[in-house]
Amino acid sequence: MKHLGKFLFWVVLCLSVVIFILPFWFMICNSFEEFSYVLPNPPHLFPSRISFAAYEHVLSQSNLPQAALNSVVITLLTAFFTVLVASLSAYGFARIDFFGREVLFRLYLFTLMLPGFLGIIPQFLVLQGIGASQNGLIGTKAGLILLYVGGGICGNTFFLRGHMAALPKELEDAVKIDGGGHMTTFFRVMLPLALPSIGTLAIFCLQGTWEEFFSAKVILGGVQSQITLPVMIQSLKGAHATRWEWIFAASILAQIPMIVLFAVFQKRFVVSGLAEGSVKA
Amino acid sequence: MTPVYDPQAALRHEKKLLLHKRVRNLIPAAPFVLPGLILACVFVIYPMLFNIRISFSNYQIVQRTMTWVGLDNFAALFTERGDRLLLAIRNNFLYALVTTPFIMLFGLVFAVMVNSLRRSQLFFRTCFYLPVITSWVIVGNVFAYMFNAGGAGLVNYLLKDVFGLLPEYVSWLNRTWTANLVIWLLGIWKNIGWAMVIYLAGLQGISADLYEASMLDGASRTQQFWRITVPLLKSTTFYVLVNMIIGSFGVFIQVMMLTSGNPRGTTSVLQYLLYDKSFNLFEFGQGAAIGIITALLVLLTTFVLNKVFHTEGGKTE
Repeated sequence: MKHLGKFLFWVVLCLSVVIFILPFWFMICNSFEEFSYVLPNPPHLFPSRISFAAYEHVLSQSNLPQAALNSVVITLLTAFFTVLVASLSAYGFARIDFFGREVLFRLYLFTLMLPGFLGIIPQFLVLQGIGASQNGLIGTKAGLILLYVGGGICGNTFFLRGHMAALPKELEDAVKIDGGGHMTTFFRVMLPLALPSIGTLAIFCLQGTWEEFFSAKVILGGVQSQITLPVMIQSLKGAHATRWEWIFAASILAQIPMIVLFAVFQKRFVVSGLAEGSVKA
Repeated sequence: MTPVYDPQAALRHEKKLLLHKRVRNLIPAAPFVLPGLILACVFVIYPMLFNIRISFSNYQIVQRTMTWVGLDNFAALFTERGDRLLLAIRNNFLYALVTTPFIMLFGLVFAVMVNSLRRSQLFFRTCFYLPVITSWVIVGNVFAYMFNAGGAGLVNYLLKDVFGLLPEYVSWLNRTWTANLVIWLLGIWKNIGWAMVIYLAGLQGISADLYEASMLDGASRTQQFWRITVPLLKSTTFYVLVNMIIGSFGVFIQVMMLTSGNPRGTTSVLQYLLYDKSFNLFEFGQGAAIGIITALLVLLTTFVLNKVFHTEGGKTE
């Protein structure tokens, strides 16, 4: 009976994993094929050959390298400014008892209840109004980065504030006695101590920005030289016919950095960071 | 003459001092709070208010003119032929109702299973988490291929030719309910890993003593699951539930990649409709109105969830 239970346990677990992995397996297998717009019937569950033609095509003939570069620049800058602005803001809310703090924080929390995409039309118009040119910041990386950092600031402040408020106050007093101000406390005490939660924030910011499609499509969609990877991959899908092996090859290349990121950091930041988020809520 | 001690006055004085201190604190707080506040005002708070204004206007993107039209945009949406708005609202609620239970159930089951593993835990956790970190655009494409209409689609091939479960090929994405089914399946598949990680974190927070003590009392595995694990994961469950339901109002890319809302808007959702109205048809006023309607629905849903959860909590605790 005990052995049967164990056997069933492994059958269910492995079957679930197979179903979970199947789409990825299918994508990898078919990225080695050459379809020339005609899909194989029946579909290939195993690669009929190993050829890197599709990879060579998307790397040399499409604007994937340009889009990848755009994605890297946008993602890194967004993560950097998000961490900087959000940790400053979180420190202000956690450690300085200023006039209007509670009201302002409630306002931040309220904005979190609404899905982010709802403001896309006015956000588009705001970006259009910044700068001298006809289209403002529409179609520029700077515009999209500003939108990402600004759009996420309320949630990220909320996330980090909880962690910073929980750190002991004695360290702060020690800095004060030594004649240091809030800036010294922030850079010398708070940032090093809050590093685990800042790391979690940075990873989720990197991942979220890397895969973001809606805003990127709306803000950059019209300018081919500025588009990010998700927008580029979607543009590979033709109106009438699609070279699926190109889409799959591009998708796999686009996905590798995220898999590496999570493989490296998942023990340190992902599970514990998410856990604290859920306890706070 | 010695001053008489007046506690009321002392309290008032103290409050005044505190208020002064808090106002004075605005200066050291400014460099910390202001950069974020300015960004939040420009990209979150002002757009929210501006969105309300646009929803009552006829906004012309090319001429950049805005004329007040009252409730015309809302009226147009509700009276449109084909009921695209109502269909989108229906599909959003259906998506939430169908996907959330499966995500929570499988998330919990996989978390319990993975948690009991020792050496292979990392491998299985990564497998289940892989869809979460994969871009919606990518998984949308894969699903579009797998649910292709003819024999070239993997699902048709497996179900009809390999297992013989279907009498003929199904054109999954061209019919209302099969297309919605694929949209739901994609949502479930992509989000189970997230729920699993949250549940794993919750499970690791439960003290092992409880299981040991109950084992001494002769409790079975099943009893332990229902009497210890499930009740202690209550707040985790609420967190997952709220996130999934509120998140389901943001369904968009699946719909855009799989069906574009077809046939005739019967697989559309609110965010897709907002996108279509604004950036394909340039009806910004109607797009903003859809935003307002969505916001009201989200607030209402949050309110109801809080009400239900709190009354339930009162009964059982």
